[in-house]
Amino acid sequence: MGTALILNTSTLLTLIIITSPLFTPLLSNTLTASPTHIVRTIKMAFMLSLLPMALFTYSGADTVTLCWEWKLITNFKIPLDFKIDQYSIMFSPIALYVTWSILQFATWYMASEPHITKFFHYLLMFLTAMMILTTANNMFLLFIGWEGVGIMSFLLIGWWFGRAEANTAALQAVLYNRIGDIGLILSMAWLATTTSTWQILPPTEPGTTPTLPLLGLILAATGKSAQFSLHPWLPAAMEGPTPVSALLHSSTMVVAGIFLLIRSHPMLTNNQTALTLCLCLGALSSLFAATCALTQNDIKKIIAFSTSSQLGLMMVTIGLNLPQLAFLHISTHAFFKAMLFLCSGSIIHSMNGEQDIRKMGNLQTALPTTTSCMTIGNLALMGTPFLAGFYSKDPIIESLNTSYLNAWALSLTLLATMFTATYTTRMTLMVQTGPTRVSPVNPTNENDPAIINSITRLAAGSMLAGLLISSFTLPIKTPPMTMPLTTKTTAIIVSILGLILALELLNISNTLTKPKQTPWANFSMTLGYFNPLTHRISSSLSLGNSQKLALSLVDLSWYKKIGPEGIASLQQTITKSSTSMHTGLIKAYLGTFALSTIILILTTTHL
Amino acid sequence: MGAHLARRYLGDAEVEPDPLKMPTFPPDMGLPNRRPRESVATAKQLALGRVPLEQRDYCAHHLLRLMRCHRDAFPLPWLCNSLRHQWDLCQHEE
Repeated sequence: MGTALILNTSTLLTLIIITSPLFTPLLSNTLTASPTHIVRTIKMAFMLSLLPMALFTYSGADTVTLCWEWKLITNFKIPLDFKIDQYSIMFSPIALYVTWSILQFATWYMASEPHITKFFHYLLMFLTAMMILTTANNMFLLFIGWEGVGIMSFLLIGWWFGRAEANTAALQAVLYNRIGDIGLILSMAWLATTTSTWQILPPTEPGTTPTLPLLGLILAATGKSAQFSLHPWLPAAMEGPTPVSALLHSSTMVVAGIFLLIRSHPMLTNNQTALTLCLCLGALSSLFAATCALTQNDIKKIIAFSTSSQLGLMMVTIGLNLPQLAFLHISTHAFFKAMLFLCSGSIIHSMNGEQDIRKMGNLQTALPTTTSCMTIGNLALMGTPFLAGFYSKDPIIESLNTSYLNAWALSLTLLATMFTATYTTRMTLMVQTGPTRVSPVNPTNENDPAIINSITRLAAGSMLAGLLISSFTLPIKTPPMTMPLTTKTTAIIVSILGLILALELLNISNTLTKPKQTPWANFSMTLGYFNPLTHRISSSLSLGNSQKLALSLVDLSWYKKIGPEGIASLQQTITKSSTSMHTGLIKAYLGTFALSTIILILTTTHL
Repeated sequence: MGAHLARRYLGDAEVEPDPLKMPTFPPDMGLPNRRPRESVATAKQLALGRVPLEQRDYCAHHLLRLMRCHRDAFPLPWLCNSLRHQWDLCQHEE
């Protein structure tokens, strides 16, 4: 009883603390929420959220807190309840820890921004929506959080709204997410009509959930988590400021789709079609994103594609029927991906806005802490043994190898793992080592506690998070314990192969061989030709058809041709043919009169 | 499963059985005096310990001991590493 009370109180208090800097300026003019104040608030919320996590780790207690119920009709009520279970309890401290570091970094990164307080408020609103999404017990509250993070993503990507590319990218994000929302609303409608509630519950008889609502949920996850076919918004979202990319588009918002599938796992677990779809879609997304990352030259785009690839891996894990492992990967991924983005932000500011890795080099002498942490993050991303990524990535690959599933998905995932090692090594070597290709005068400086503390804090998380989480939590499904040595070491062999591949390729480029334009390189550089194909076709078709509808069909046909102009043109035809008869001669008129009278008499007397 | 991927595709059912059509054997495996296997942990103990349903198998008694050790050694889960190893070994032998 006491445990439940402490859990509920501390979770709700955490949510209130996060939202307090948004409301206090409305109450009084003196209560302004400055950026440093907001950083301290999030730090406090993080410390508080450790309490329910410790309680849960000790006792395994989980609760549902009902705050209010919207009694629509007697049969259908929408409760405002928060599910404080394993996933939301573990996610809250991680999200708050990462947010704390990112906000501290943002006090330095956005220091020259005139509306920095508004920026921080936007990030806080995003965090509130994300917390609502993760603690939601029903689809209604989840939908509120879902749309909230989508809107905040739009506002934050288009933060520098004077830039046309930023506006296009923000619009892209909203449109692709909207397509995913169709699926979410479809499954909400099915849930409401079939089960009379919006709670996600296991089906009463196993194996009876129809595939259509599950496809809706998968579509929603495809849109939000940038799986293949609804993925272009994620690299385009790099137009936003780096703290936005670090918070939204690596650790928190993009995992919302995977989180939805984890939450609805009771419905998914027995439907083999849906699981196979998740598996294949995830494998394809992972490989496609990794292929695109190989030839990118913008440091933020490389990390964005890396995020997309890891999201594909999380989708593969869902397809393997292992939601807890997917959640573990979400948790560990948040640390090192956010850190990679913060390191890239530090590098970008030090290079005076330069984001091209071809114009960076030998930064390990100029920015030692940043580049060291970047190396740690890259190693964790590759799944280096005993860093954070290892504890989640290796079990995923092992489970994939040892389960009865299609070899296509397996080979794609292994290839994607190899490419992960390749592009991370390429990024590391081009940014940190080699000859210095930067311009001579640069504001290179990382000697600011806002940078150092935030990045090293996340580095500590990248090294320890995997170990801590897997020590403290027991797996819900028994991991595979028996496999041949090659299967066990597949992940690490494949990563080493990728590393060797990257070293070899960079060796070739350093010896100044003439670059070849092969079809594979073209495919990778143009991101699979996906963007021009989909964006041009869909917009030209819809604009062309709408033009035809509005102008030709409605204006011309219905308003003119069917009405006055049509009748007028018909009459014109007859009139033109009969004008020749109006000669002005009386004899002609008399003759016509006589002719028509004779015809009339003949027809009437004949009858 | 622990089977070689290539063998799965290149061999026939005698090399690697089709997991969707696993062969069945009589309960006594052709050996007389064979008794059915019993789980060490009782169903009541498993229910009280709130062991997840998929993990209520013939190694669940190790898991129960591990869960109890986790609770007792609370902030230091690595003190239970030996029990974790025993559970993993039992799963491996299963």
